Amino acid sequence: MRDLIDKYTGKLARDRSALPERIGFAANDDRMVEGGAPDLSRLAADTLSRLSCLGMLAAAPALPFPEFLVRRAPADADRLVPLDTETRTFLHDIPVLRKEERGPDPAAKIAALLSKRKGVVVEGVGIVASGPVTLEQAYIHYSSVFHACYVKYLLDVLQDGFLLPGEEEAFRAFREEHLRSPSAEGLVFRPGPMENPEEVLAEVRAVGRYTVERGLVDSFFGNISYRVGDTIYISQTAASLDELSGCIDPVPADNRSTTGITASSELLAHRRVYEATGARAILHGHPKFAVAMSMLCEEPDCPVKDCWKDCTRVRMLGDTPVVAGEIGAGGLAVRVPPVIGGPGKAIVYGHGVFTVGRDGFGEAFRAMVGVEDLCRADYFLRFHSRTRGQSKSE
Amino acid sequence: MRVPGDRLLVVDLSTGATRRERIPPEFLRHYLGGRGLGVRLLRGRHRLPPYDPAMPLIFATGPLCGTPAPTSARLSVVSRSPLTGTVYDCSAGGRFAWRLRAAGLLAILVEGKSPHPVALAVTPSGEEIVPADRLWGKTVGETVGALSGRGSVAAIGPAGENGVLFSNIMMGEGNAVGRGGLGAVMGAKNLKAVTVDGDLRTPVADRERFDRARSDVMRLFRASPVIFGELGIAEYGTPALVDLMRQRRMAPTENFRRTVFADSPAYSGPAIRAAYGAKKDGCYGCPIRCKKSDPGGRHLPEYETVSHFGALNGIADLHAIVRSNDVCNGMGMDTISAAATLSAWGEARGRFPSADEIVPILNDIALRRGEGDLLAEGSRRVAEALGRPELSMAVKSLELPAYDPRGAYGMALAYCTSNRGGCHLRAYPISHEILRKPVASDRFSFSGKGRMIKIAEDANAAIDSLVACKFAFFGASLEEYAELLSGVTGEHRTPQGLKEIGERIYLTERFYNAQNGFTRADDDLPVRFFTEPGSSGEGIDVPPIERGRLQEELTKYYRIRGLADDGSFPDPAFLEGQP
Repeated sequence: MRDLIDKYTGKLARDRSALPERIGFAANDDRMVEGGAPDLSRLAADTLSRLSCLGMLAAAPALPFPEFLVRRAPADADRLVPLDTETRTFLHDIPVLRKEERGPDPAAKIAALLSKRKGVVVEGVGIVASGPVTLEQAYIHYSSVFHACYVKYLLDVLQDGFLLPGEEEAFRAFREEHLRSPSAEGLVFRPGPMENPEEVLAEVRAVGRYTVERGLVDSFFGNISYRVGDTIYISQTAASLDELSGCIDPVPADNRSTTGITASSELLAHRRVYEATGARAILHGHPKFAVAMSMLCEEPDCPVKDCWKDCTRVRMLGDTPVVAGEIGAGGLAVRVPPVIGGPGKAIVYGHGVFTVGRDGFGEAFRAMVGVEDLCRADYFLRFHSRTRGQSKSE
Repeated sequence: MRVPGDRLLVVDLSTGATRRERIPPEFLRHYLGGRGLGVRLLRGRHRLPPYDPAMPLIFATGPLCGTPAPTSARLSVVSRSPLTGTVYDCSAGGRFAWRLRAAGLLAILVEGKSPHPVALAVTPSGEEIVPADRLWGKTVGETVGALSGRGSVAAIGPAGENGVLFSNIMMGEGNAVGRGGLGAVMGAKNLKAVTVDGDLRTPVADRERFDRARSDVMRLFRASPVIFGELGIAEYGTPALVDLMRQRRMAPTENFRRTVFADSPAYSGPAIRAAYGAKKDGCYGCPIRCKKSDPGGRHLPEYETVSHFGALNGIADLHAIVRSNDVCNGMGMDTISAAATLSAWGEARGRFPSADEIVPILNDIALRRGEGDLLAEGSRRVAEALGRPELSMAVKSLELPAYDPRGAYGMALAYCTSNRGGCHLRAYPISHEILRKPVASDRFSFSGKGRMIKIAEDANAAIDSLVACKFAFFGASLEEYAELLSGVTGEHRTPQGLKEIGERIYLTERFYNAQNGFTRADDDLPVRFFTEPGSSGEGIDVPPIERGRLQEELTKYYRIRGLADDGSFPDPAFLEGQP
């Protein structure tokens, strides 16, 4: 278990979702194993000892957004309800535990909240997440909560401005010190078209790793594929894009074999995109500004309530179409293929970005970088416009 | 816990007396329904021999049954297995469970023994025990046909009448209460069939909460490639696993001597679809509909069936496999145990049965004719009788299904710890070791598997008590099903609370088994898996399992469960402490 604790501590530090010195894990084999910051690993262990779970993670996020969300919420709000697709599908909502509610035994309170949800935001501590089956699951649930809070905070600031002391300074630090421009600089892509399966597998593994390293997706999410003739080489479901060795399924186009039952839940979308575009490469990530901006819709008097799945319109963010649709066997596989062919890119409402490469991944990767760049720029344009307005009204 | 329609029908076949009584709310609070309720109702009689007239045979639905909760039109049948000697339950779908609830009942407990063959007919207005001499000897299909107009039918075939130790109770819609021979328990009571009919509705206490949870479940189903993916079980049924198990090199072949069968594409999901025009079929109200039928309504075989009549016996003839499935369904026999028994017999005599031989042999087993009389006893007794006990690929006398333990170490451990013997469904580690749900785990490592198996066994005991289908959990989790339960009952339930109930059920079952003489020595795999490798190749090494490591993890598992290192209960009064 210790090797796994070290592995996921390293991943949290590298993806900059947690403060490196404020990460604590606990794993329950036939005895409790703890690792990381002593106070946090103890909290994780105390919480874990009350639940039927294998692993627990308690960590301070690298950004104070979850904390701000709790403090910005109404005093009687017992949960955060981000509206991105990951949250709607997998988390449902995120319970919160406020400082004054923690009491003498905060682990008991946290365990009670985690008895029904995957992760909780604890004011003054950070995010605590459970791993019912594996330790990796605790890391995944932490990442999901962090991602959801990140996107929600971006949107909330745009809508309501800063409400708390210190928020503006923290946001400035986030922008000036934390954010890195997405970039394909220095990365090497095989030009394509590729025919040799071994070469394809190596390239898929490399590009999956690039996508995580450049912050275009959190490790566990997203998917990637390449088509050779009538075979799609696609990342498996629940695979980490930076660890794709042995996790890429070859799926024949005519479904003569069902080996690809373990392929990504977006297999159908990839297949339809290939059919519609003739492309050879598809990349799907969850870059945060693109996810956030896709959820900003200014359609007046729109009757659609569940925009993320029911909206049938094609909106544009710059030259990138935005469509709605559930993941998996939902609407995404229907709505993305018709719009992605021309621009080579599309955003799914509250979910992420699909890009294609005609021959290789270089084109797809650069397109995703471009989408996130544009969305980030657009976000800060709106942010400035809003904060100028806020200053005037003040 | 208040469950609408919380009524138990008790039927004494010896006297013909019946009564309807309220199930104590504390039973439902602490055991939910289904498997848990059955296990609780068995208490005090769990040491009786399986064929003792006083041994109950319990049909128990769960609190979600009768509502639109996805995959919950199911029930568990609970008794003691004549094949394994363990406490036994099996979950089954179809329409029977739903109609049982619509008859105003949560469960039926049958005890005693009728002096002559009978059927039990249940409606909301009452029940009657009717003579069934004319039905004795009939196949399941003939019996169901003869009882048409009486609602849904659960019946035994000739195998159950003749005490085949792996005989099933078959639902009229083709679903089976399989594996452990509960058909023989029903046959020993001279009970040929149970019919249920009714139109009572099951109310939902908090409709808004229930609907929200149901939407969450459906969203997760759609996000799961195993369920609704274009290569998933909704499209191809469980035979979607044939190609995957071959690729993972863990398809049991020729009585587990090898783990790859080159001809398995002959009976893969796509092959069955092409040959039989397979269409979607399924349990009442199920959105997944993993069962597959041909256009004429003929039920097509599941993964375990095609793999065991196929690879395990070295047969690549799809039509012979489908005919074998037909015979087992008609005679009321478990396909896994039937095929595995034939395979052990085949290896012992030096020749596996051919495609042409299988159907006549299966008929002989059901009717206990010729060699079929011995084969009807299951692989352990057959192998022992032939002087080759090591050839029975079983745990606690229950034949292993079509996941070779050398290819998934969690599965290896779970076969050992299963309370009903060599079953894949108690902990179902294939979900994470092979299908990557909810996350992937290292299939060639025992690390952490003791804890994983314990947690999964508890969760699945709760699932079997709700009662929901395990396939739902390739997408959803207890998080959403706890919400469904809260919506139905109006009482707040959490996934953690459900797992604690599951733990109680699991330990109770183990305690029953311990009182019936089961020990750590029974928590073990056939020696072949420790001494012979699987079929390595294509970059995948399938070595023998390291026995010492398995034993070490088994000890860890006992400690995690609060048991002594020999697997026994430190507290001999464990049962008295349970509600």
